[in-house]
Amino acid sequence: MMSSRPRRLLVSVVILLGAGLVARNGTLAGQSGAQKGEWPTYGGDLASTRYSPLDQINADNFNKLEVAWRLKTDALGPRPEFNFQSTPLMVGGVLFTTAGSRRAVVALDAATGEMLWMHSEHEGARGEAAPRRLSGRGLAYWTDGKEARILYVTPGYRLIALDARTGALVAGFGTNGVVDLRLDDDQDMDLVTADIGLHAAPVISKDVIIIGAAHLVSGAPRSKTNAKGYVRAFDVRTGKRKWIFHTIPGPGEFGNDTWEKDSWAYTGNAGVWAQMSIDEELGLVYLPVELPTGDAYGGHRPGAGLFGESLVAVDIQTGQRKWHYQLVHHGLWDHDIPCAPILVDLNVDGRAIKAVAQPVKQGFVYVFDRVTGAPVWPIEERAVPQGDVPGEWYSPTQPFPTRPPAYDRQFVSLDDLIDFTPELKAEAVKMVSRYKLGPLFTPPVVSKWEGPLATLVLPNFNGGINWPGASVDPETKMLYAYSFTLIWALGVVPSDGTRSDMNYISGLARDPNAPPAGAGGGGGGGGGLTVQGLPLIKPPYGRITAIDLNKGDIIWQVAHGETPDNIKNHPALKGLNIPRTGQPLGRIGTLTTKTLLVAGEPAFTTTANGQRGAMLRAYNKATGTEVGAVYMPAPQTGSPMTYMLNGRQYIVLAVSGGAYSGELLALRLPS
Amino acid sequence: MTPHLWGPPSGGPIRLKPDPTQVAAQQPGRTSNDAVFTAAQAGRGETLYQQQCASCHGQALAGAEAAPALAGPAFFGSWNEAPLGDFFERIRISMPQDKPGSLSRQQTADIVAYILSFNKAPAGQTDLPGDTELLKAIKIVPAK
Repeated sequence: MMSSRPRRLLVSVVILLGAGLVARNGTLAGQSGAQKGEWPTYGGDLASTRYSPLDQINADNFNKLEVAWRLKTDALGPRPEFNFQSTPLMVGGVLFTTAGSRRAVVALDAATGEMLWMHSEHEGARGEAAPRRLSGRGLAYWTDGKEARILYVTPGYRLIALDARTGALVAGFGTNGVVDLRLDDDQDMDLVTADIGLHAAPVISKDVIIIGAAHLVSGAPRSKTNAKGYVRAFDVRTGKRKWIFHTIPGPGEFGNDTWEKDSWAYTGNAGVWAQMSIDEELGLVYLPVELPTGDAYGGHRPGAGLFGESLVAVDIQTGQRKWHYQLVHHGLWDHDIPCAPILVDLNVDGRAIKAVAQPVKQGFVYVFDRVTGAPVWPIEERAVPQGDVPGEWYSPTQPFPTRPPAYDRQFVSLDDLIDFTPELKAEAVKMVSRYKLGPLFTPPVVSKWEGPLATLVLPNFNGGINWPGASVDPETKMLYAYSFTLIWALGVVPSDGTRSDMNYISGLARDPNAPPAGAGGGGGGGGGLTVQGLPLIKPPYGRITAIDLNKGDIIWQVAHGETPDNIKNHPALKGLNIPRTGQPLGRIGTLTTKTLLVAGEPAFTTTANGQRGAMLRAYNKATGTEVGAVYMPAPQTGSPMTYMLNGRQYIVLAVSGGAYSGELLALRLPS
Repeated sequence: MTPHLWGPPSGGPIRLKPDPTQVAAQQPGRTSNDAVFTAAQAGRGETLYQQQCASCHGQALAGAEAAPALAGPAFFGSWNEAPLGDFFERIRISMPQDKPGSLSRQQTADIVAYILSFNKAPAGQTDLPGDTELLKAIKIVPAK
């Protein structure tokens, strides 16, 4: 880090000014949106609303937005990154973000983008073996009014504390500014090769920092045995561990009896890789937990498996569980809870409820009283289809929220298939005859070439909604969620023991009559589940849904994302007037402001100015009418945030994709 | 009069590779549908793909949470109309994610050929070359 003395002094002054303002007003981030024109924590506030009351940028001027500054992240690591997912923070005129293929941390002048300092950890073999790489989702900021720190988790799963003014390691934190998260985790693991890491930004309440865990994606895990994804809290000043929560409970712990045949002992995962939310008044942190080991086969982990796919409320000081709710019992559909539970105070039928709204991949939002865990609207345990994969354990029922309605398609029927023309529909019907169709929670099947090849599942393993989650307007109680619709063929195949010690892993049967791989065939590919290159499912392929959380109703829903070029120009659709379809991909975070709902597109298209790129769109948040769109050189891959500085409002987001390497774009109105 | 600081005094700059603009001029508007790889190459690519790529990108190129789809609408959402050389280069420098740079140019070209063939692009008489600049003259488009 090379700053000149005067610049370092300036940085110190602005950060301490910002910190001083905060200290006078009490909590750093309350529960009503990003305060004072700053963005001090990943979700805008600890409730994860992704809301800011700023309104300088509005429907009348959104189209006038121009690039104030931009930061290419190529040189912050040994090679460029193409999936830049960070949400930056802004405090005291300084913007902080993780960036680059080594997950460096940079501090930038938030008005000009000038780099003030950079910190990078070179982790050697441990970094190269990391299960969760690149720059991750972001970092955390802490201050006590006197000093200020930046804290983040490296790819090699180490917690780093830096002086926010200089980027220097904080000597008094852990060992020289580092806490090795592969130690003191109530389990043995190899420091270099363990399958445990993180992408998420930590969250901090008062002097407690809370850290989750992530693992390699596990449709075909190497083993039924894996590192467990426990949650820990650390003292933000010293790095000392305060508590640990066992997401897979041990003997004598609550929930241990939901693991049959002692499968709790060897099963791993069940980490909280999603963002967490905190209610500082109640002193609770809300943990959205993923599946245990094995996304598609649970024969080695019989039982409902608490706390897999559960929302758990835990005391911030002690780590004691206050309540929990399992959203999927013994999951087989890779539908981890992917995103922050959003805290919002509701008034439902005259009752005031401190609520939490949890969007999930499979198209629901589950709404609970965040004090007690009681569902706001009934969640019904209903009988679900049972499967026949040998050795599997099936939950006889699954929970179904009765309100709000699902915001994206759930599972597949013939009515969901492409129907632009009768010929296309007929082709689609023929294609799906090889697959199993069924309602929500139809289990995966053993894949057979003669059929069924797989269970057709919606939403996709990527959602629905994924890690960016939704945003909530704390004044109107509206929730805004981007989700996409892309069909997925979920089958399992026996494992021969070489790739995995599990009996079955996610996979599809191969054509027994095709030449073996590499024998020169090559053209046996399925091309994806498409009909003449078009998605198998009818549009919209990507949408934004606005839900009134007081009523539990969907208020508006629009296709988000311009129709892809190859659909617009498809010969089979010539002459048809097809409304905007949305795009069948993307993990898009929404930003809610005083008047706008802002979200970028996930795909490249040929935009109105003739250039290949993606649009950042703004909608009237009350009605869903589009009010503006500005060009970006690449799709949104990080969620947008906003701040006010020197009387000017900025919108900043990370873009990347295709051949366009990671870039932070800062937009503002012309002066 | 400006002195020559580098380069030959006359005759233009030295070229080490074929001029991509000349290649493009010879074959204007080439796309991935113009039989740009061979079936044998795609076969080699399939073996490499299953060994190096399938654990993250899926046996059927459908992707997984940490890795995007390499076939179908989600793939073309990122790569439709992009130069094939850009796709090749991104794989060459950053993939596989746990051992980036471990694939040779030939291996990378073979994997790209397999991905194109999986997406139903037609095979032909000439292998895809492992040359980024040459490949930039070819545009990725969905199969007919």
